[in-house]
Order: sequence, then structure tokens, then C-alpha cells
Amino acid sequence: MFVGNILYVLKGTIEIPQDFLLRQLPHPTAVLNTRLEFQTASDSWFDFFGLLRRDVAGKPILEIFPESSPEWRQALQDCLRGKPEVSGSRHFIHPDQKESWFKWVCSPFFDTDENPAGIILQISDVTEGVKQEINQEKVRLMLEAQSENARIGSWWYEQHSGMLECSAMTQKILGAGEAGITNMEQLFLYFPGGFSRNTFSMAVFQAMESGRPWNEQLELLTPCGKELQIIATGRPIIKNGRQVGLLGTFLDITEWHRSNQKMRESEALLRTVVDNLPLNVYIKDLDFRKILVNKQECRFMGVSHPDELLGKDDFELYPEEMARTLQQEDLYVMDNQKTILGKESLLTKKDGSQTYFLTSKIPLYNEEQEVYGLMGISMDISELKDKETELRNLIEVTSQQNKKLINFAHIVSHNLRSHSANFSMLLEFLNQEQGEMEKRQILGMLTQASDNLLETLDNLNQVVAINTQVHLEKSAVPLRKAVQAVVKKHQATLARNQATVFTEIPKDLTVRVVPEYFDNILANLLSNALKYRHPDRDPEISLGVEKVRGYTVLSVADNGLGIDLKKNGAKLFGMYKTFHEHPEARGIGLFICKNQIEAMGGNIKAHSQVGTGTNFKIYINDRD
Amino acid sequence: MTATDAIYIVDDDPITVFGIRKMLQSLYPDRPIHTFANGRQALDAVKAASDAGNLPEVIFLDINMPIMDGWQFLEAFIRLPIESPIRVNIVTSSIDPFDYNQWQHFKSRSHHIIDFRNKPLKREELAAIIRAA
Repeated sequence: MFVGNILYVLKGTIEIPQDFLLRQLPHPTAVLNTRLEFQTASDSWFDFFGLLRRDVAGKPILEIFPESSPEWRQALQDCLRGKPEVSGSRHFIHPDQKESWFKWVCSPFFDTDENPAGIILQISDVTEGVKQEINQEKVRLMLEAQSENARIGSWWYEQHSGMLECSAMTQKILGAGEAGITNMEQLFLYFPGGFSRNTFSMAVFQAMESGRPWNEQLELLTPCGKELQIIATGRPIIKNGRQVGLLGTFLDITEWHRSNQKMRESEALLRTVVDNLPLNVYIKDLDFRKILVNKQECRFMGVSHPDELLGKDDFELYPEEMARTLQQEDLYVMDNQKTILGKESLLTKKDGSQTYFLTSKIPLYNEEQEVYGLMGISMDISELKDKETELRNLIEVTSQQNKKLINFAHIVSHNLRSHSANFSMLLEFLNQEQGEMEKRQILGMLTQASDNLLETLDNLNQVVAINTQVHLEKSAVPLRKAVQAVVKKHQATLARNQATVFTEIPKDLTVRVVPEYFDNILANLLSNALKYRHPDRDPEISLGVEKVRGYTVLSVADNGLGIDLKKNGAKLFGMYKTFHEHPEARGIGLFICKNQIEAMGGNIKAHSQVGTGTNFKIYINDRD
Repeated sequence: MTATDAIYIVDDDPITVFGIRKMLQSLYPDRPIHTFANGRQALDAVKAASDAGNLPEVIFLDINMPIMDGWQFLEAFIRLPIESPIRVNIVTSSIDPFDYNQWQHFKSRSHHIIDFRNKPLKREELAAIIRAA
């Protein structure tokens, strides 16, 4: 049609030079003669190929394009033989390396005798088209690669035909067979019945009806029984303001879901372990605020929920003095990046209650190896501590008992040995003695020795009785009344000695003692005060009382001879130790007193000055 | 200041005193024997004897006595300025290691001959002690 126009122009009557007309043709056009020599061409033709008119005039076209294809040569030959409109396309690289694609059409033209007179060669630039095609292919490949890597499948549903088209990736994710999936009902069956299928079909129907898009995390079940986690999204396709179908995608997140689930599981496990450890665990940030606490820590702090502790520092939770100590520890750990391990510490809470802890504090590092806080782990060792103290007390009691026992064993051994030595000696004398008088004297001595032995055994028995009485029956005794009763009982003896007793004891004071022991101790001390009275003055005995750290101390002070405690202090309460030449000094009274007061959990001490008097202090245990 | 052949017995137990005295008298009927009921009495006697120049040759010393016991007596005795060594026999029924250690202690601190014997003393033992003196 275009060629026809030119012919018309060429044959027409308008007086425009032919060549001039040709030059101005908008379409790149060249004219060849029958020898395929270049005749003329439009300016656009020269522009397209970047050639100059004078360089190509009269040259055979095949010389101008030396690397032309055989197909093109054939087409030119065919054209000369009268074949109309032979066309093709070629690739051309410009002298400046620019790439072009063009389509060519050759048409023969004829002289007045209808013989072929040459060829009109028309070129059209298709570079843009070809480039677009290549781009489209690129985009397609990219999309394919993307959907492959991200495991995103898509599908397309045409509403009027009910046709469903699934992308290759969709088929792959679903594990669909050769036949593929061609309608919605088939697609629904890939979702396991129940929540996932209901949700997906509801989403599809609602999108069809009201154009609402969706985005849901659902389960898929492939024909071979594989369970998948996917995110299904979809939206309506609108064309010319009318909804024509749906476009949907499936994103396979099974792997991600699985690792995510594993992470959540291990996180839950860790949390369970931390929460149920019988240890106080907490994490503090750089501002010493708690950012994690476990259940044990909550219980210890007396709160029901971690929120009551989180974000608080020790100054809000502990007394100021305590908080300062704790914060110094924290600062040490975080500043020096040093760990405190198994430090024993006593924690005082605001209510004043105290707990022994074995505490460890460990600095925590972020990925850049900077300290971001610390973790504290504390074990309540109060019970252990109590047990330890109990044990230590027990050991002390035991070792004291043991010492006493050894001491007692020595006393027994010594006493029995001394008596048996006398027996054996006297018996030997008796054996060898001839004189009757002498024999009688020795027999008298043997009787004396025997009496002494009996008395010793009696004394030892008393001591054993005191020390073996495990369950002592203590009772609350009003001290003043008890003291007055003992004094009254010895009134006659006191009067005989012209002794005066001063008593200064509060009326309402009670002590817990074994009354029998108490009476004996007091009677002993009174009797000693009289026995060891000063020859130059009448005895005066003062009874007073004071409180000393858990003990009620009854003092019995006399104005007697006194005793040199520097010399004899160690022996004062020993058995058979006497310090004065008194016919009644037997050295057993104070020994028994000491045993009795110790059996009641108390103690007895003496203060004395020779020539002035002695003050015995009886420590009565207030506890138990 | 020359030693005589006097013998001291320091013990508060009359039976022991009787026994030792009886054995000594049968062995050495001519030697003077003095007895004391505690360390204080004995110490006073030693001091007086030292001044008079008639110190005893042998002392039998009990440990457990009232007023001043055997150890307290020894403590004071070894401080007395007595040049010639006197034989002191500790006679006791004690087997307490404390007493044994005390004896070792005094023995090492004194030029007197201090010995340790358990009751009862036998006649032969006594004879040996006196002979050695």
C-alpha cells in the first residue's frame, strides 16, 4: 500500500523532483537498480545506518552490507524476478557499537513495459520492540527465580469461567500431580478439613462477593501426607471497574515455622527450668534494675507477679544499707567484668528478716562483647547455716561432756586407786604383823579405809546422778520466795553463828530451775559462808540479783576468809580440793554445786579477796 | 648447812602416813621421821630446817592435799636457796597425764632429785630409795 503511494507519486503529475520527494520519505527507504546497485535513498535511511550519500552512491548493496545473510540475498534475487513484498528482519551493529534491530521489506518496481526495473528496500526500526521482548523475558525469569527461592506460588482464578491457573511453584508447593489443579474445589482439598480449609474457602468466597483481600497463616496437607505451614494471601482482580477474578499466593513458611517453633519450645523450656529452680535467679541491667526474675525470687520477695519487681532497683526493694552493699557488688561485677562465685552473704529485707545466701553474680555480654547487665543466682542456705550452728553447738556440748567425762574418769580412778592402795598396804601389814595390839590397830584402820571408800563411792554416785539425768524437770520458781525458804531452813545454824542475811531480790522475778538443785546450791554456799567465816567478825551474807545476757545472776557474797583465786581458782570447784584447814572441809560441796548448775544450763563463778570475803555468782539460764 | 638423815612425809591421808612411817621405822629404826598434813606445813618446816642447817635427806610428797598441794609445795621448794640436792619422791595414786607432765616439768627445772611413784609403796622400794640417798 505504501509502495503504491510512492508509485503514484512517481507516476503522478505533480511537478516535484522525484529525488527530492524520495529524500523526504519518513520511512527509511532505498532504491536499487536491477544490478542491485544503490541508486538513492531517503535521508531517514542514511540516518538509520549512519552512512553518507557520497560513500554509497552506485555501489552494489551487498558491498555496503558485506556480512548480509544468504536469506537476504535470496530475497533480493527473488524480488528482481518479480516476487512481491519479500520481508525479513536483521540485527545491525552501528559503527558506534549501538545495537539495532530492523525489519526489511523488498518490493520490485517496474518500467513502462512492466519489466522489473529495480527494488525498493524499506526498513523499519524494531529495536524498541525487540528490547521490550527481551525485558519481558528477563522479568519472567527473574520472577521465576524469585518464586523458587522464596517459595512463593501464585494462582489466578477467572470468575466467569471458573478456571483456576496455578503457577509452577504453586504446583510444586502443593505437590500436585501431572493433571494439576484446574478449579477451586480441587484447591480447597489441599487444606486439611477444619480450621484451615474453612478459613481459606471463607476468604475466597468473601473476596468473590465483596472484594475483600485476605492474609492468613494456614496449614496445607499434600497428597503424599506432608504437612506444610503457609501464608495464603489473595485479592480480587479488577478490570475496567469490574471484578473479574482473584489473584492468590502461597508462601511456604514450613521451615521457618519449624525453627521458630523449636526456638519457642527451647525458650519455654529454659523459662520452665529457670522458674522452677530452687534458686533465686535474676538479671539486672546497667542501671541495677531487675529485668528478669524467676518464681523463687518472687516468692522470696513476697510478691505474686514478676511485674512487681521488674524495673526496680535494690534501693526500692531493700533497706538502704543493704542496697548500698548489693549495688557495690553489682558495680564490681559489671565494671571489672569479674564473676563473684559462691559468696556467702546475709541478706536483710525491709521487714528486718534475714536470710543467708550463697550468691554468684556473673556479667552478661551482648554480641559486641559489651557488658549489658549481670545475672545473679542465690541459694538460700539459712537452713544449712542453722544446721551448721546446731552441729557446732552439739560438738561443743559433746566435747565438753567428753572433757568432763575424762576428768571424772580420772577422779574415779584416782580415788579408787588411793583407797585400794591403802587396803593392799594395810592387808600386807596385817599379814606380817605378830602383835595383837598392832593387828587391832591395823584392823581399825582398815575399817576406816572401808568407810572412806564408801563415802567416796557415795559422792561419785551423786555426781553421776546429776550428770545422767537427761530430762531435767525444770519449773518456774519465784526467786525471792525460793531464796527465803532456803534461808529459813538454815535459820538455826545461821543464828548459832550470829550471821545476818541481806536479801535484795525483786518480788516478781521468776527463774526456771530444778528446785532440788537450786536449794542444794544455795544451801552449800550459805554453809560455806559460815564454815569459812572470818574469825574476827560476825558473818554477813548478801543475796542480790542482776540480768546478764540471757542469764539471771544470783550473787551470794560473804565477808569471810576469802580465797586466793590466783593460786586456787582452777581448783575451786574441783573434787576433793580443800583450801582451808577446816575439819569439815571435804572438797565435794562446790564440785556438786558446779555439776548441778551446769546440768541446768547455767554456770557458777567466784570472785574473792583473801581476808575480805567471797562472792559466788550463780548464772541461771533464762532460755529453756 | 649439812644434810641430816631426817625423812619427811607430806600427806593428808593418815593411813598412807601410817603405812610409810611403819615401813621406814622397821627398816631404819634410828632415823628421824617428820610428817606433815599439807604442803604449807612442810614448806614451813623445810625453811626452818634450812635455817637450822638440818635439812631432810628424803621427802615423800603427796599431790592432792588441802591448803597447799604437792605442786604448789614444789613450786615454792625449788625456789628456796638450798644447794645440796634433796631426794623428793612424789607418791600418788593419780594416773592423770597432767600430773606426769607436771613432774617432768619440775624435774627439768630443779637440781633436786625428783622422782614419781604410784601408791602403794612397797617395802623393797622404800629400802632402795633410802639406800640411794
